[in-house]
Amino acid sequence: MSDTSKRASQGGAGVPALGATSSVMLPLSFILVGLVAFLTGIGWLLLQPSLLATYHYNQTIIAVTHLFVLGWICSVIMGAMYQLVPVALETSLYSLRLARWHLILHVIGFSGMVWMFQEWNLKQVGHFGSVLAVGVGLFVYNLARTLWRVPRWTLPATAITTVLAWLSFTVVVGLTVAAGKCTYDATPTATWTGGLLAGLRTATGLVSRFDPVSAMHAHAHLGGIGCFTVLIVGVSYKLVPMFTLSEVQSLKRAGFSVLLLNFGLAGAFATILLRSPWKFFFALMLLAALVLYGVEMRAILRARKRRTLDWGLRYFLTAIALLGPTGLMAAVLSWPDLPLTEWTGQLETAYAFTALLGVVTFAIMGMLYKIIPFLVWYRRYSKQIGRTQVPSLSQLYSARLQSVGYWCFLAGLILVSLGIIAGHASCIRLGCIGMAISATTLVCNVGLMLSHFLRPTVPERVVPRLTVSASI
Amino acid sequence: MRSSTVTEAAVWTALGEVIDPELGCNIVDLGLVYSVNVDGGKVSIVMTLTTFGCPMHESIRWGVQNALLALDGVMEADVQVVWDPPWHPSMMTDRGRASVGISVPPQP
Repeated sequence: MSDTSKRASQGGAGVPALGATSSVMLPLSFILVGLVAFLTGIGWLLLQPSLLATYHYNQTIIAVTHLFVLGWICSVIMGAMYQLVPVALETSLYSLRLARWHLILHVIGFSGMVWMFQEWNLKQVGHFGSVLAVGVGLFVYNLARTLWRVPRWTLPATAITTVLAWLSFTVVVGLTVAAGKCTYDATPTATWTGGLLAGLRTATGLVSRFDPVSAMHAHAHLGGIGCFTVLIVGVSYKLVPMFTLSEVQSLKRAGFSVLLLNFGLAGAFATILLRSPWKFFFALMLLAALVLYGVEMRAILRARKRRTLDWGLRYFLTAIALLGPTGLMAAVLSWPDLPLTEWTGQLETAYAFTALLGVVTFAIMGMLYKIIPFLVWYRRYSKQIGRTQVPSLSQLYSARLQSVGYWCFLAGLILVSLGIIAGHASCIRLGCIGMAISATTLVCNVGLMLSHFLRPTVPERVVPRLTVSASI
Repeated sequence: MRSSTVTEAAVWTALGEVIDPELGCNIVDLGLVYSVNVDGGKVSIVMTLTTFGCPMHESIRWGVQNALLALDGVMEADVQVVWDPPWHPSMMTDRGRASVGISVPPQP
């Protein structure tokens, strides 16, 4: 009998393989786009640190913010969600084809938006933003159909659903704000374009009722909290227990944290937009959500069976810890009738910077050290496992580079944040150097991981063979 | 055509070659293998994983099948993944606990 006549059968509870859910190259493409945007953004700040030393309502800082938010954060998060959502929720991605179209529209959309923000051509921002919005529409539809297939509804599934809703709302509000800053001279006609023109004029009328800075801040909070914070909180209830061999300790506490985050955001959006003193109340509600989240994370970590925390997890847990100072800054800034002085203006910038480049970026970098090794390993070694020696995920990259990157980024973040508050450009530049070194270590490690596609390696340490007496 | 007879010892040894890539430890030291049954050329394995919804689920199962089918005399490999009883570190060997970073054997 030849080897080919051998049979394999499987049974028990099943989880679909990645090959059935998504392409390895799709999330990797999103992630690589994100890394290019990240390096570009850090380089931009390194060359122009004075951008952060002055008030943030100007075209260049809005351009660089959208480069970080859409180019870096959204690219990586969306790519990761195409891979993680089906895996974490034990289902399969609805359409890989739609996801590929999304990638193209996303890259065109955000690149054009950043360029046109820099030129301060808001009509073109709206056009490129519309391209981006079509891509987001495909993303939301694709993941909504994916969530529809989920066999067991869980807390992460609820959190992801709300993230998709907030993402859609963020894009609509962003486009409305951009449309509201444009003028429309043509006469509306009874055509499709005429209807669009009438809609844009309505948007202009609507947005003109609000203070432009408040509208921008409300839009930013929708994205920052609704898309990023809710996602970090929601998925960490799945990922942190999985990587530390632990369990959620109180489902009720975890559920309340997600619920409060969503209610708090809804209130915060409205009160920021209307410049209402009630925004302090909703800031406290959001802080309460984060405190609940922190308590639950602490309980999960205390109950963990795997005592050693790898660097990927340390990055992620640092992100969670940074929610503390970020939340405190939010509480101060939401204080009723806080005067807008030079200092509070800089504190607003420091708050946004710590949130996006501290909390979200640390979380992303940590998860990249889980996602990329998994994708590379899955593509390169999953067929070899059991046939030959294969490396573990942590053997695909350098832990030393990872730790250097961690400390450089943390030091850089602290220096830049202090430099922003003090309005000190040299301090900001020094911090950006630390961040640039960190970004370089990340890119080097990504290069090491991707090199396995070209040069697969066999681990030096041989997995010990067991003696039968010791194993049973 | 192969005529050799597979032994349970050979099966355990082959399973010791399959690692959980996230933890970097073989599945026997992790205590993931609940039972091995050899019936002529057919080998049946009952095993679990550390986490339900583990992204490495399919890869590890493939690995077990690959390792078993590579053994002389194995014509059929049946791998059952179960969640009851749930996995616990007390099922690990001392070497597995040391490898993964669990110093004190926990109680179930």
